[in-house]
Parts: sequence; structure tokens; C-alpha cells
Amino acid sequence: MLSLIVRRALSAVPMLFLLSIVSFCLIRALPGDPVDVMLGSAQKEIAPEQLSMLRAEFGLDKSPESQYWLWLKGWFYQGKASASNIQGNQQNQINQADLKKSTALGLSYRDGRPVKDVIIERLPATLALVGLALVISFASGMALGAALACLSLLSERDGPLAVWAARAETAAVTLTLAVYSAPNFWMAFIAIAIIARSAFLAPLPILGLHAPGEDATALGVLGHLILPALLLSARRTAKIALFIRSLAIDEIGREYVLTALAKGLSMGQVIVRHVLGNCLLPIVNLAGLSLPGLISGSVLIETVFCLPGMGRLMFESTLGRNYPVLMGLFMLYGTVVVISNLLADIASTCLDPRLKEAN
Amino acid sequence: MKSWNSNLTAGASILTIFAALSLGPVVMATTHLGHPPLTDLNLTNIAPFTNSEHILGTDAMGRDLFSMLAWGALGSLSVALVASFTSVFVGNLFGSLSALLGGFVDNIMMRLVDCLLAIPPVILLLTLSTFLTAPEFTAKLPLFLCSLLSVSASSDGLLPLFTVTVAIAATTWLESARVARSRVLSIKTEEYCTAALALGDSNLQLLRRHLLPALVTTAVVEATLLVSDAIIMESGLSFLGLGLGPQTPSWGSMLRDAQVSLIQGNWWGALAPGLAIVLTVISIHLIGQGFLELRSAKVHGHIHGVGLKAR
Repeated sequence: MLSLIVRRALSAVPMLFLLSIVSFCLIRALPGDPVDVMLGSAQKEIAPEQLSMLRAEFGLDKSPESQYWLWLKGWFYQGKASASNIQGNQQNQINQADLKKSTALGLSYRDGRPVKDVIIERLPATLALVGLALVISFASGMALGAALACLSLLSERDGPLAVWAARAETAAVTLTLAVYSAPNFWMAFIAIAIIARSAFLAPLPILGLHAPGEDATALGVLGHLILPALLLSARRTAKIALFIRSLAIDEIGREYVLTALAKGLSMGQVIVRHVLGNCLLPIVNLAGLSLPGLISGSVLIETVFCLPGMGRLMFESTLGRNYPVLMGLFMLYGTVVVISNLLADIASTCLDPRLKEAN
Repeated sequence: MKSWNSNLTAGASILTIFAALSLGPVVMATTHLGHPPLTDLNLTNIAPFTNSEHILGTDAMGRDLFSMLAWGALGSLSVALVASFTSVFVGNLFGSLSALLGGFVDNIMMRLVDCLLAIPPVILLLTLSTFLTAPEFTAKLPLFLCSLLSVSASSDGLLPLFTVTVAIAATTWLESARVARSRVLSIKTEEYCTAALALGDSNLQLLRRHLLPALVTTAVVEATLLVSDAIIMESGLSFLGLGLGPQTPSWGSMLRDAQVSLIQGNWWGALAPGLAIVLTVISIHLIGQGFLELRSAKVHGHIHGVGLKAR
């Protein structure tokens, strides 16, 4: 088992390496020089020597290959190289080694701070948002899915209750599908409009991470994040609910359930002992796959709710051609997704002996 | 079995309504009357059902919401349709080529797909569309595009349509490439393919004559389901300001405009395009569901959660 986990983890390393190459190519393919974008119309007033000095400082005068090589080396220098800022470099005689380290580490083009600091500053908001959304979507999605499956089981029996159950099921499924079909930013600003218009809901916190003028307390931040997380998780919740409903109906229709019932077990016992275990595997896989979607959604949700998260940073950096920050974000996102896939893989191998043998 | 599939019928009828709605601007465009509704600052924020000329009301810039919806339907639906079918075609081609070539090349091609899949879709979409909308790129494109489509250079509105479509297609082809690869790997071992190879077909001939036709059915279902994702992606992109512009309105750009006017108490401006998106996406899911039910009533009956209890 351990060797399997190690093998899987090692296979992720070349994947990440390739990811760094792909994202480097993708980011450098963005047209437009960062220096041009940064200076805008002020560029005409600046002497060409200064422009080229700026480019040299960012390492933009080098060939793409050597830029990539410098970036790669930065991962191993990270501990040693301190945040020697651009101004310091400009005033002093530019030390070649120093320059190498600072470009290798990657400084944000926008404010000259190390990329690591810029990203870490934005990390908590996104982490809390996406984590909360993941928890909400799984808890409520599974509950909703189970409830829908129960309704559909009820609707197969006889009597007037079944008719109502069938109607309720159709309505609930349609509603869930509607939630799944709605863009989450749209739901977000409808929610904001409703909260802003009703006197009863108005005291609820909406925008930002904490109320202006107040310090960020853990409870206050949580209160501010609940609504965004709820809206971010809405589509995922609906998808999980629909998925679990069909999964449960499928499993209950299988022969082993019939056998267990024939043995004399009650339906509840069958579900707890046999059906739940069989449903677990697809759910674990779904959990591993849901992270990219949630991260995608977080870009829009952060925009609507003015949250200082990585999604915003990503959007701003794309528009400003902030290569080092973009590169850092791509790698961070990619690593998180790769790791979550890895965890889902390992978990499903633990759950399913057949997969263990296949490896 | 019923001769009419209720899901398919419901989905198709909703979609037909929107398609009919989007035909209005097309007809107008061909008769040279066509331009998106103009702003009329005397008639801003008229509530729905209060004015006989503007049944659905107007938005913050005084544009008639109903005709905006029609133009939005044209923009959103055409982008989504073209993007999803292109992406499924490219994905299938890439996947089947990868499976056919095999070995080292296959490995590289699939690792590339894996890498791009590890980047969250909206992040990829943002980067690609920034790439496509940058002036360095767009300055050269219109001339080429205009000569290609033989339209006059004045139809600038086509450009964002093109870039958004390409960006969405370039983001979504990855999944279908994977599916197509595994399908081709299994089809390739079937006897008729072995026979074709034995008769002297080259790989490319095999691809054209036997593999791609075998993939068509799944590809159509895939593309249909992808349309809904593409609509949502387009709306998100337009919302961030990287999508369709005022010359070619879409439901997404209507939502972006509506965000501002929401503060002025104009809730209908946000509600209408959102509902249009929801209805369209639901209808596409119903159609996809209907297809699956028609194809195999038992196995796939409730993959997408709606309808039929397969028992």
C-alpha cells in the first residue's frame, strides 16, 4: 500500500514539471510587453535606456529559455534569497548574483514584492472560501441526494402518498437542475439585491472580508464568507445531489439488494450494510474532481463579493501581464488540483480492493 | 415505450423558442436594419409590463429588454453552439490521433492534455481570452477574418464573437480528447478495423472511414451537453469584461450591465437574462437526457438525474 502511494506521488512530479513548462509557454504567449502595459501612455516620456534597464531588471531581455531556467532555479534558491527589492538593486551597483536570485525568486512586476508574499497574502480568503464551499457542497449535496432518492423510492409504492412523492420528486429535481443551470455570479447578485432590499435581511454582512473600520475576527470573517461560500457551492451541491440520486437509484435496483432483502434484511439494514459502501467510491472520485470547478467559480464570486482572494489576483495579473505572479498562481492551482486527484486516487484504491490488485 | 420522449420534447420546445427569438436579429441583419437596440436615455429603467412599447421594460441605458434578450440569444447561442461543436470535433480528432499514433507520441499528447486539465477551466479561459483580445493579436485578425468570411470591414462585432468562441473551444476540448482516445483504443481492436488494416488501409484512412464515423454518435451527445457549459462560460467571461461587447450583446454582457443598474432598483434587468440562461441550460440538459433515454433506456436512464426510473 505504502509503495503504491509513494509511486503515485512520484508520478506527479514529472507531471508538475510538464505543467510548469506548459504554463510558462501559455503565459509568455500572452501578447504585450509587461513594461508597456505597466507604464501605459507614460511610456513615451521615459528614455529608452531606462526602459531597457527596467526590462533587464525583470529579466525580460533574456531569451525565453533562460528565463524559464532562472524561474526553475528559483524554487531551489527560495530559502536563501531574501526579498531584495528593486529599489535596492537600482541604487547599488547591481550585483550579478543578487540579480539572478531576485529574478529567480520572482518579484511581482507591479509592486516589486516577492511573488510568494503576494500570493500568501491572498491565500487565506480563497482557501477559506473554497474550503467552506467544498464542505457545504458535500454535506448538503449528499443530504439532498439521499432525500431525492428516498422520494423516488416512495413514489414507486402504491397509495396516495406515492403520487405526492412523485410530484415532489419531479419538482425537487427540476429545482435542483435549475440551480445547476444558473451561473453562480448571477445568483450572487440576485442574492445581494434581495438582501439589500429587504429590511429584515439588511444587517447581514455581504461584501468584503470584514466590516469597514473593524478588525478581522475569525467569527466576523466566517460570517462574511458564509454567503459567498453558499453561492459558490450551489452548482456543485446541485450536481452532487443529482449524481447521488441517480447513483442510489441505480444501486438499489441491483441484484445484490434483492438477494439481501430475500435473506430477510430490512431495507434500512441493506442500505447501511451494502448500498452505502458501494456508493462511496464514485463519491470519493467526485470529491477529487470538484476542486477545479470550485476554484473556477471562486474567480467570479470573489469579483462579485469584493473578496481579496487569489481569483482576483489572477484576473488582475492577467490584465497587467504580471508574469511571475501568474506563473506562481498557475503552479499553485495546478499543484492543488494534482494533489487532490492524487488523494482521490489513493482513497479509492484503499476503498476498492480490485483497484489495488490492478496496480 | 412511448413514441414521444417527454424530456426531449420539453427541452426541444424551450430551445426552439429561444432559437426563434434569436432569429429576429438575424432577419433584421439581413435586411440592413440590424443593430443592437440603441440607448435612449429618456426611457431608462422602465419596469416590465408597464409600457406597451417595451413589454419587458428597459435597462439602465434605456434599451428595450425584449430586443436585448433576442440579440443576447443570438450572441450566446451562436457562440455556445459553434464553440462546443468545434471543441468536440478538435477533441475527438486529437484523441483518436493520439490513440492511433500510440507509443511515445501518444504519451506526450496525453500528458499535455492532463497538464491543461490540471489548470482550473476559468483560469485557462481567462488567460486564453486575454491572449486573443490583446490589440497585438486583434489588429491583424480582422483583415484576415473579413477576407475569409467576405464581409465588409465594418462588421467589427464579429471579432469578439470569434475570440470568445475560440477561447471557450480551446478550454473545453480536453475532456472529449480523453474520452475519444479511450473509445478509439477499444474500437481499434474490433474486427472490422483489423480487417480494414489488413486490406491495406493506412492509419489516416482508417480514421476517416471507420473511426470518426463510429465516434459521431457520442460526439453529438457530448457537444449538446457541452453547449450548456459553454453558455455559462461565455456569460462568466462577458461578466468579467473579456467577452462579447456592446456591438454583439449576449446574456452575459447584459448581466454585467445589469449589475450596475441593480443599485438603481432595476431588478428585471438582471432577472431576464439570468432566467434565459437557466431555461436554455435546463432545456439542453433535457435534450441530452432525452437522447440518452432513447439510446438505451435502461443503462443511462438517469445519468443526469431527470426523469425515467430505469428498472
